[in-house]
Amino acid sequence: MTDRLVVLEITRMEASHLTQLVMQFADLLDDPGDRAPDDPALARLVPDAYSDNPAAAREFRSLTQRELLDRRSTDAAAVLASLHGAADLGDRSDDESALTEVELIRLDRDAADAWLRTLAALRLVLASRLGIADEDDHHDDDPRFGIYEWLGYRLDGLVRVLGEGS
Amino acid sequence: MVASTETDERVVLDTTTAAGRVWQTVVWNDPVNLMSYVVHVFRDYFGFSREKAERLMLAVHHDGHAIVAEGAREQMELHARAMHDYGLWATVREAPQ
Repeated sequence: MTDRLVVLEITRMEASHLTQLVMQFADLLDDPGDRAPDDPALARLVPDAYSDNPAAAREFRSLTQRELLDRRSTDAAAVLASLHGAADLGDRSDDESALTEVELIRLDRDAADAWLRTLAALRLVLASRLGIADEDDHHDDDPRFGIYEWLGYRLDGLVRVLGEGS
Repeated sequence: MVASTETDERVVLDTTTAAGRVWQTVVWNDPVNLMSYVVHVFRDYFGFSREKAERLMLAVHHDGHAIVAEGAREQMELHARAMHDYGLWATVREAPQ
């Protein structure tokens, strides 16, 4: 399992859009110190570990928050690195056929895990921005829901591949 | 002899009380995380069988939460931290008496 490579098929357009999203995500990951983040989207990534004990929740946060957010940054950097070739259009940025070309991205297990955690985190952040409170929340006229669902499609596909044969 | 036995019993009882405090890691339902992803996390991190991971995922989904681990407090905090790392919403609590 550890030596298995996961191969993702992705169009250059998808790779380019995902790169933008992950870069925005990485920018969001400012460490607010020992306090809970003010941004609810960021706060969702580092929730209170004690719902009925504020002192214990604070102590847990002071011990874990920095490490969790650092790990998110490391994951995001790993995803961006693996996307680099597929997202790069070089001098063909005006060439529409280039956008629909399918590229192959090869991930080792560590990179695949970074993808999983990052895709899941991107969905949590987007859901917070979109105010998704129910699994069936959807608005056809808001393209961000399309992105949210595309992230889910990609995440589900990756989970399936990693679960095969185990 | 008798006194000594009583002392020993008391020590045993005290140890039991301190170590017997059971804590839980609880995973809560959210409208975002995919069922397949939650099963993957339970299998990948805890090493649960597919059946057990699916049962716990469904408990989270239908009951709103599930106890995924029980034991010492420090261990439950490690589990909660790991769940947060995956993006799951987890808390630690003392097991209801």
